[in-house]
Order: sequence, then C-alpha cells, then structure tokens
Amino acid sequence: MWYGFAGKLLRINLTSGETKVEELDKSELRKYMGCTGYAAKLLYQEMPGGVDPLAPEAKVVLATGVVTGTLCPSGGSYEVCFRSPLTGTWNQARSGGAFGPKLKYAGFDFVVIEGKAADPVYVYIHDGQVEIKPAKHLWGLNVEETTDTLIRELDDPEISVAAIGQAGENGVLYAALINDRGRAAGRGGIGAVFGSKNLKAIVVNGHGGIKVAQAKKFAEAIEKAEQWLNNYPFGSIPALGTVGLVSVNNSLGILPTKNFQTAYFEKADQISGETLNRKYQIKRRACYGCSFACGRYTSVPTGKFVTPPMEGPEYETVDMLGAICGVDDLEAIIKGNYLCNVYGLDTISTGMSIAFAMECYEKGLLTDKETEGMPLRWGDAEVMVKLVEKIAHQKGIGALLAQGVKRMAEQLGPAAEEAAVHVKGLELPAHEPRSESKVLALQYAVSPRGACHMHPNWASTWDFGQLDCGMKEFGLPWPPAEIQDESSQKGVVYRYVALQGEISEILGACIFYSWGGEGSCITPQLYAEIVSALTGWDVTAAELLTAAERSWNLKRCFNAREGFTRKDDKLPRRFSQAIPNGPSAGAKVENLDTMLDAYYEAMGWDKQTGLPRPEKLRELGLEFAIN
Amino acid sequence: MSKVLIVDPTLCTGCHRCEMWCSLTKYGEINPSRSNVYVIRREPGVDVPVICIHCGLCIDVCPLGALKRDRTTDAVVVDSDLCSGCGACVKVCPYGVLRIDEEMDIAAKCDLCSGSPACADHCPHGAIRYEDVRKAAAKRRELWAMAQAGKIRS
Repeated sequence: MWYGFAGKLLRINLTSGETKVEELDKSELRKYMGCTGYAAKLLYQEMPGGVDPLAPEAKVVLATGVVTGTLCPSGGSYEVCFRSPLTGTWNQARSGGAFGPKLKYAGFDFVVIEGKAADPVYVYIHDGQVEIKPAKHLWGLNVEETTDTLIRELDDPEISVAAIGQAGENGVLYAALINDRGRAAGRGGIGAVFGSKNLKAIVVNGHGGIKVAQAKKFAEAIEKAEQWLNNYPFGSIPALGTVGLVSVNNSLGILPTKNFQTAYFEKADQISGETLNRKYQIKRRACYGCSFACGRYTSVPTGKFVTPPMEGPEYETVDMLGAICGVDDLEAIIKGNYLCNVYGLDTISTGMSIAFAMECYEKGLLTDKETEGMPLRWGDAEVMVKLVEKIAHQKGIGALLAQGVKRMAEQLGPAAEEAAVHVKGLELPAHEPRSESKVLALQYAVSPRGACHMHPNWASTWDFGQLDCGMKEFGLPWPPAEIQDESSQKGVVYRYVALQGEISEILGACIFYSWGGEGSCITPQLYAEIVSALTGWDVTAAELLTAAERSWNLKRCFNAREGFTRKDDKLPRRFSQAIPNGPSAGAKVENLDTMLDAYYEAMGWDKQTGLPRPEKLRELGLEFAIN
Repeated sequence: MSKVLIVDPTLCTGCHRCEMWCSLTKYGEINPSRSNVYVIRREPGVDVPVICIHCGLCIDVCPLGALKRDRTTDAVVVDSDLCSGCGACVKVCPYGVLRIDEEMDIAAKCDLCSGSPACADHCPHGAIRYEDVRKAAAKRRELWAMAQAGKIRS
C-alpha cells in the first residue's frame, strides 16, 4: 500500500513501442524523497555519460513529487529532467498547471521516455493505462491547436496536454514543452528533445486519488500551512503576479536592460505589473492545488499585436521580451509571450537571443545582409515579434538565433563573446547578479543547468532579506562567526540556500512558498510534518535536508561525467564591468573566486576541481557516483 | 437565520482546492474525482465551482427514501444504510452534482459537512462561501440575472 506516492514508474520505449509499469522501491525512493532527486538517480544510473541529448539513446524523466497533487499549497508541480541539448548539462525544467497532479491521479510518479519513434506519435496516459498513438496529423500544429485537437479526439475536456509546438519540431535548442496551453517546462530545450524523438505530446488524465496515511494529522498540517501563508512576506506576488517585480526591480536598479548592458529601464512604467493588471488582465489563474494564483490571464483585444486570452506574461517574459530588448510596448510583449507559448519556446532564452542579436547589430557584428535587410534596433517591438516567429520556424536570421547565445557568439567571433550573457550555455534570467556581488551571482555560476534563477531559488530572496527559511536550527550562520571576509560568508551561506531550496525540488513543490521563516512560509520543518502525515513515514527536516544534499551532489556528479568542473563555474565577462547607471550604478562582481572557494569547502567538495570528494559521496550513500 | 452555500465564479482561480478538501474530509484521501463539489475549468478563462443547492428534487425520485433533509442544516443528505446506488437521483439532478461513488457504490452528494463545509472554510479567495441565507439569496439573484444577460464579469 502506498501513501502520498502513486508507487509506480512508467517506462515508455518509443523505438520498440513497448511500455512497462515498474513498482517503486520504498526505501530507495525515500533515500531521494522523489521528484528531481530520484530522477537524478535514474538518469545517472541509466544514461551513460556522453550521450547526445538529441540521440535516441537519450532518456527523459518526467517526475512528480510526494506533494504533487495534494493539498500542500505549493503542490502543483512536475519537473522534466534530461540532458540539455543547449548546454550539455543536467537539466530540470519545472512546470505547474494540472499536468503533474493528473499524472499522479493516473497512477504514476515517474515516466521514463526512451528511444525514438519512427513516425510522429503522442502518448496517452489514463488511469494506469498507456497508449502510444499516431500524431502525424498533429505535426506542424502549434500547442494550442494540438491541445484543442486532442481534447476533441479523446472527447475529454478534463485531460491535461503537454505538447511541443513548431519550435520543438524544428529543433530550436531552447524549445519548451507547454502544458495546459500556457504553462511551460521552459528552460534547456526539452522541446527539441521531444522533437528529436518524434514525440508531439503527452496527454494525461486520471481518477485515482492519493491515499493519505494520517488524514487528520495531514489536515492539521495543511491548515497550519494555510495560516502561516497569511503572513507570507512576498504577499504582493499574488496581487500583481510575478510581473509586479518589474517596478520593484527597476526602482532598485536591478532590472536587466539591453542585454544586461544596464539594469535600469527608463520606460519600465509602461511594461509594469500595474499597467498589465490595469489594462490587459482578464483574471487570475492558479496552478492545480495552489492557493496563490500568481498566474495572470491576459489578452490584447485590438490593434496590431492582438492576441486571444492566454496565461502570462510572467515577470521573466516581460523583462526578456521587454527591457532586455529595450522594448517598452506591453502589447508586443503579450503578443511575443503568446507566440512563445503556441510555438513552444522558452521566453528567457528567446528574449536573450534577440537582445544579443540587437547588440551585435549595434556593434556591426551582424549586418543587413545577414538579417535580410531587417534592422535589429533596440526597442523595435515589431522586430522583436518578427524574430520570435523566425526563431520558431528557423527561418533566415532565426536559424542563427535558434542556437542560443553561446553558439551565436562562437560563430560571430571574439568581439561578440564580450556581449554573450550565459553560463554553461544557458542564457541568464531576468535577475541582476552584480549589485553587492550577491549570493545570486554564485548561484548562477554553480547551478547544475547553467545560469539558473529557479533551481533552487532562495538566492535572490536571501540577497534581499536574509530570511532564515527554517534553516536556523541547522546552524544557518549570518554572518558566520568564524569567517571575517564577507565574500567567504556568502559562499558558506549559499550552502544553506541551495540545500533548503533543493527540498522543494525533491518534493515536487513550487518554490514560491519556501521563503520566509517559521510562521510565514513552508519551512523544511513544516514540509516534514506534511510529508510524514501523507506517507506515514516519520520524516524529519534533517532527513529532508540530507536527501536534498544527495540530490544536489548527484546533479553535480552528472555534470562532472560530462566534463564540467570548476573551470565552468564562471560568469559572463559583462559582470566584471560596472553597471553604468541607475540606482545600482558602479556595482560589479569581483569576488566570485573567493565565494567559490568558501562554497566548495562548505559543501565538502574539492577546491581545485569543484567536484564532490569521494568521502562526501560515501557519506551520502552515493558510492556509485565516485569516479 | 440559517446559512447556505454560495458561489461567486468571478473570484475562482481554478485551483481545485475545494475538491481536494471535500475528498479529504469525506473519504480521507485526496481525489478531485471523489469530490461533491465540482470545479469546471475550461478555456478560455472559465473557472466555475458547481455546488448542490439542496433543492430536494432528488428526494422525490429516490425509490428507497434514502435521501432526506437534515433538520439542522437543511442539507439534502444520503442515508448510506438505505441507498442502493440505483442512480435515480443522478438522473434527475439538473446541475449534475450527484454521482455514484464507485468505491462505496452508493449516491454521493454534498451534505454541508454538518454545518461547516470544508470547501467554503478553505477556499483561498472566497469564491465559495457559507453565508447567511438573506445575503446569499441576494447574491444568487445577482449572479442568475447576470448569467442570463451573458454579462458575468471574469
């Protein structure tokens, strides 16, 4: 009998067309706790190093966690884990919506996808059953059309569809997987991986429940969470949506603008959350089971950038299709967001590739000949929207942009390298790492998937407020008494930030509720109460933290096998230059090496290589990952 | 004055928490398919909780007298000892808020949780409320009129 988990893994081989249901081993699952932790173990053990992410041998794991689909207020998530074709690293792309919960209600915690179908297919998972069905008629359709067609064909409006659009079919290296029309497993190119496997979509629905071991205790723990979240320190996020951050960040001088040339956008008011909510919001939308409802549902009813109603845009998108490109037209941004959703594109990498192209054009590194006579000028809203179309279809200059900033820079030469803003090939998200040489800068440098603001995501909030997030009982030192140097203090603190954040990743929880302190967020202690009541296991916060450390180390080992070491934990050159204007003028990152030294030391990793020492891996029971 | 359940779809974000609380309260598991409140979430932008209004049509058609009105809450409740799961009530319900629970093989419907409905207690945005009957009636009139006019604001 399983409580909390569905207890099953579904294996789908697209080459042979065979599917297999495997029972999960309780003690092994508990060791990793689930979701990306267990997915890391699966991919590390089942996929040897050096497999081309777009080859049939590459595997993909769709992972839910123990809180996915439960009443846990952050429990709407699933994560897609794979080796990224954009970066060559470990990648996990998280998404909300209904897909994760419905996969679990269908009876599966994990889906492992292997091989490559001879012709386009989609996979239909429902109530413990799985069918691989032809999708030739869906190939070439966008995400919205695909979703509508499948709802009609399967005659079930309650299904959740995760599909790729034209971008994934065409192999755009940062193509996304979009579920429920407007929720993206965005980063790292899972759309291209699906495309390479001839896999158009996965459809799920289920009517099974999640059994709760101790229903009364569980209800009490959830009621406690609901009460604590009344004091949540980031209460403005639901009110305005994540896009509310545009005004806040701009007033602090940390709104990335013009390809990170600066961090202050004079016209931020025109693309702010306040403007979006006043002029374009239809309603608020929540992911499955979430009491937060940070999602916006918007449309542009008339004009040249008209769009039907669609989820978004989120903060990241507004900055990336807006300020990063110098664009101040919110209608164009909503249109760009819509196009990214229907074509299946990561809005962050899309925006950054466009901004990088604009800077290269400004510097004469891209000429009218290459752009087919289209000037790529900062702030040109129509050009931004046109480029989104061209990228998705790999047309003209779009074929260059579809490769992402790292590969574009390699083709455009050393002068372009100066302007290439990525870590390990992943374009930076919309958070400025320079002001005060933050913990966020360290996170960008060391995160397994490259420049990442999400996995885990306490770094920016730590930089703002030094919240303890329930880590005090584990000795969160601020400032650490024995360390005088501030940069080294930040390195040590990131150990706590990363491991606490990783707890969300292994539970399948959205990160948003994990920031605060006792009485104002879901702390590791409260997660332990929730998980214990759900599963009937006596789980402590310390056990969650150890499982998180296991997961974090294993992802590092995955990357090590692909050749990534300390030499790759670096920031774009741009960040050693000062922010030129705005409230954070003068800030730059000067202390990365010191932060890295302290962080590796605190993690038990070798300072020279930046890799986990064998004794650390033994301590965590990860002997199989010792090289 | 007694209370009734009232829904304001303009406040619903489609989170389905009411369904989860309902199934947890009634059956000790989390399963929106075993809920006695139903959230219809469709595109574009439709999020509507559908609830039993305890009209009592089902009482009249039950051949075994298994549906009764609770004297304290005025809820229409299923007597599980009498119900045979024949489904006559499901057929007659104009709102589709009755179902046969597959596990127990009897009719399942909202019983107002004996006067403390879990869905209303836990709705994060006040889209489902358990309110004084006069206030609720006024709200129902408003929503009904607006729906007829096709003007429910989203």
